[in-house]
Amino acid sequence: MSTRALSARRPGTVDRVGSARLRVVAMLAIALVLAGMVWSRLAYWQVAQHGRLAMQAQAQYREYVELPALRGSIFDRSLTQLVVNTTVYSAFVSPDQVQAGDRDRVATGLSTVLGVDKAKLMTVLESSSKFAYVQRRFPKPKADQLRVLKLPGVGLQEETQRSYLPGITAGTTLAANLLGFVDWNGDGRYGLEERYQKALAGTPGFISSYRDLSNREIVLGSHTHQDPINGSDLVLSLDANIQYAAEQALAEGVKRDHAESGSVLIMDPSTGGIVAWADYPSYNANDFNHTDASLFKDNVLSYVYEPGSVMKVVTLSGAINAGAITPSTVINDPGYVKVGGYWIYDWDRRNHGSIDYTYVLEHSLNVGAMKAMLAEGHDAYYKNLQAFGLTQPSGIDVAGENYIPIPTAAKMQDSQYATTAFGQGIDVNMVQMLAATNVVANGGKYAPPHLVERIGTQINPLLLQPQRQVISPDTAAKMTTMMQMVVQHGSGWTSRIRGFELDQAGKTGTSQIPVNGKYTQDVWASFVGFLPAKHPKFTMLVVIRKPHYPGSDQDWTLNDGYMTAEPIWRQIALAMVAGWRITPDR
Amino acid sequence: MAVGAVLIVLLFYLAIVAQITASSYDISRLQDQQRQLVAEQDQLRYQEVTLHAPAQVQQQAAQSGMQRIVPSSYVLANQVAIDLGSPIGDSPTDTTPRWLRAVALVVNTVGATRDVQAASKH
Repeated sequence: MSTRALSARRPGTVDRVGSARLRVVAMLAIALVLAGMVWSRLAYWQVAQHGRLAMQAQAQYREYVELPALRGSIFDRSLTQLVVNTTVYSAFVSPDQVQAGDRDRVATGLSTVLGVDKAKLMTVLESSSKFAYVQRRFPKPKADQLRVLKLPGVGLQEETQRSYLPGITAGTTLAANLLGFVDWNGDGRYGLEERYQKALAGTPGFISSYRDLSNREIVLGSHTHQDPINGSDLVLSLDANIQYAAEQALAEGVKRDHAESGSVLIMDPSTGGIVAWADYPSYNANDFNHTDASLFKDNVLSYVYEPGSVMKVVTLSGAINAGAITPSTVINDPGYVKVGGYWIYDWDRRNHGSIDYTYVLEHSLNVGAMKAMLAEGHDAYYKNLQAFGLTQPSGIDVAGENYIPIPTAAKMQDSQYATTAFGQGIDVNMVQMLAATNVVANGGKYAPPHLVERIGTQINPLLLQPQRQVISPDTAAKMTTMMQMVVQHGSGWTSRIRGFELDQAGKTGTSQIPVNGKYTQDVWASFVGFLPAKHPKFTMLVVIRKPHYPGSDQDWTLNDGYMTAEPIWRQIALAMVAGWRITPDR
Repeated sequence: MAVGAVLIVLLFYLAIVAQITASSYDISRLQDQQRQLVAEQDQLRYQEVTLHAPAQVQQQAAQSGMQRIVPSSYVLANQVAIDLGSPIGDSPTDTTPRWLRAVALVVNTVGATRDVQAASKH
């Protein structure tokens, strides 16, 4: 073999060796790429998607169940339970789990037990939906009947419901407007249920456990668990028996007077605790989802009105306390007076001549009240309104308080001072007004109005605070005597209770309702009173809205508080005297 | 031998797991039963509370023919004039027979009480 021949062959050998290496490298590269793809895919599922996949897997065999906290109960002052937690059931159906041959049996069973329309049920069962409620919130006996039937694709869901005590008629529950209700989401709505939602609801717990293929819980498997913290019970100052008597008397009175509505509020004079809180019309809190929402409104707290002559108690108390007048101070009342460009009249437009302030209150004379305010002076009078709590919300522990702020002292017109002195041109809610007049019954101290005495084992801190002295005890005693005279000689005569004729104090209030800036013949009629006068056991305010006595379309005075509110006050006071065994002082 | 031991341990383990699972199903069933009983208890409590409610009391009273009475009247007592400054008079004469006083003395001493005679006289 020649050298040329060898030299000619070597390059060929080198070529073969080079191509083999290339192939190996190429194979390795391809293998690496393929492996990289697999690894990256694995990394994608194992690392990037780990969280999501783990959650999906857990969701298949692990179950998280919220353990609802038991909502706190509500008791009255005698520990009568006003609301009970009961278990109700909701039936649901999964149409995709009901065989075509079973549909008729399922529909028949459900319609027989629950009373639902069978044709509608068949439509649902024939649909492709996976879930539908058949009926919600029915009692246990019906649930037991359904369990016995063992209908395929039909399930029962337990829910908790608040059940309230029956009221005066089948369509109402006791103290519905005060207590409010709890909606289907477990949230308190209106009244105490809303105001004390956090305390009543408690804190839910949870349990996280495993389920087998047939969705049965494996209780002894590994699971995490946290107990719920049940809601606190509330103990109120309310008296269920007096509440019932108040609702009954109020309903009869509102119907008798052909009124639009009415409310009653009763307070323990020394503590400010509310004893009864009645509204008419009211509603059935056990059936709130079928109730006109306008009935949920609580008129005691959310309805502001002009208190009328009840305000004279505040005006004269302030003037006496300031030393501007005494009960026996004599004034001249011609029956009218001009203030700030406006003529202001007594309700009867009569010339009463020389009279004292006891007479002014007995006969509810506007001119006299206005002169008392002028004697005291605007600034002192305004401070008086503040001290009696009429320039700010009462702050009572019930949801939904409404109030209309009065202008600042500097912005009050002379005419507004004048009308405010006898309770017109100033808007208050009933709680504000009762708390203000209760100052007289409580020896001159302002007792903060409240409903809840205890939350769980904690006493309401409000009860431990010292009460604010608004007027002197001597002024309160003088005003009490004047209010006794109202019952004995004045417009309070229809409230008299046998045995207490000399020992009860009160004041009527009737104010015309303004519409578009003009007063109409419609009125708010009210009466506030307490007994026994010197050692009162209760203070009560009754307000009747738009009563319509025959013939009152042309004469609003026919709807006066002594005709409408007072008889209701008297009827409830009789129940209290009997129920609380109250005896006269003398 | 070793395989047999492993098999026995495995069977033992499976038996325990099966027992635990069965027990957990029992617990689950009992929990369900407890829920139903609690629901029944709630219903009964509501019935009880409702029976004491003023509305129910009034309804039952009306059905029994009971009527609300007219509120009681109050009788004014005659004022009795007592002069605390007047001199204290003689003690009232004790008319108790002598023998009864003697018995009372003995009984009081024995029984260690001074109320026996008063109790026996009233």
